Amino acid sequence: MKIEILGGGCPKCKMLEANVRKAIDELGAKAEIVKVTEISKIIDYGVMSTPAIVIDGEVKAYGRVPEVEEIKKWVRK
Amino acid sequence: MENNDKILFGAIVAVFLFFYFLPPNSEWFNNAVLSGLNLLSDYAKQHVLTCLVPALFIAGAITVFIKKEKVLKYLGRDSNKVIAYGVASITGVILAVCSCTILPLFAGIKKRGAGLGPAITFLFAGPAINIAAIFLTFSVLGYKIGLARAIASIIISILVGLTMALIFREKEESGKMLLEEQKEEVPSIITLAVFFGLMIGVLVVNGLQIDAMIKYTLMALFTLGVIALVLLKFKNHLAKKWLEETWGFSKTILPLLFIGIFIAGFVMPLIPEEMVEQVVGSNSLQGNLIAAIFGTFMYFSTLTEIPILQVLILKGMAQGPALALLLAGPSLSLPNMLVIRSVLGTKKTIAYVSLVILYSTFAGLVFGAL
Repeated sequence: MKIEILGGGCPKCKMLEANVRKAIDELGAKAEIVKVTEISKIIDYGVMSTPAIVIDGEVKAYGRVPEVEEIKKWVRK
Repeated sequence: MENNDKILFGAIVAVFLFFYFLPPNSEWFNNAVLSGLNLLSDYAKQHVLTCLVPALFIAGAITVFIKKEKVLKYLGRDSNKVIAYGVASITGVILAVCSCTILPLFAGIKKRGAGLGPAITFLFAGPAINIAAIFLTFSVLGYKIGLARAIASIIISILVGLTMALIFREKEESGKMLLEEQKEEVPSIITLAVFFGLMIGVLVVNGLQIDAMIKYTLMALFTLGVIALVLLKFKNHLAKKWLEETWGFSKTILPLLFIGIFIAGFVMPLIPEEMVEQVVGSNSLQGNLIAAIFGTFMYFSTLTEIPILQVLILKGMAQGPALALLLAGPSLSLPNMLVIRSVLGTKKTIAYVSLVILYSTFAGLVFGAL
């Protein structure tokens, strides 16, 4: 499972990363976490507002920071 | 965390060295510190409660209640170009965009939306025209220049965008932008209009030259109105989100702003008036140009351009160059240029920066002559 976190260095992006790591830890899941900071790559996903979270190539949320529980739901599927 | 540690170490060493080499009982240092503290006290007394705080609440409200999608759809590929430029130029007011959101939005509008022109307009206008900055400019620097800043920023953003679009005709890219409606119930338009109206009313009344009793009574009434409105009409979690976003903005903006105010005050007695007057003291081409160039390269954290300008004007900077700095300052800085370059490429970035300098200088010249 590949989880990509799209965004620059702003506090919301860091929060998203923290939530993702927490979700992974709590589930004991195996996932590769990749941070995408390059604008052109972010745009390629069609995302205009960061932070955004992409799981296995599918954009799950953008423009906000999802809660740990939400992220867990996506990871479990 | 490594990077942060390096910065922290560097800062500690710098501060240590500064105080190590500081001659004891140096009068200039004491004067400078006092000046810095005085300026901070000035701001605390005159601008924080009446201008900054309401503006922060408004920014928080904008983030929660104004849906990006509704505004961004005017910046899509098929939208009317005139509307696109118009909307792009005032986005800074409509969407409280923090500097990190501006870049992806800019790139998106450029590649998959209305194109290079409106994207550039957005890029310039976003930081230049935010509610807090405009009102604080009014409050600290005065009517004329506050109004000039607001109007000139909008006009320049459109001009720069148009010019860029004319110079570089771009091919459009395929692909869509994710602009789904995020389902979140917000209060009705009328409620929102009253809500924002009352908050903006506080800012506007503060700026009026009327009897102090009337002014503060009105502001207190408006504030009570906002509180009542929120308690009665807003869902709990939305109200909570509003407060959270407001706090988020405060955390990001206020500490750096206070540091900036202190530094501006600190530096004030150290700047030789003759130098300021010579370089930017008159509404000359040279003065405006230097101010504009300085503005584009220098980094100003949100709102700090205002105390800095206040000090420069006190030291003899003319109105024209002052406006040029106000216009060119917030939207560009050297680090910022490098990031823009990663999206635009070197040639277009140079064109963009040059146009900003050019139009800001011109705006300063015109304003200074009024």
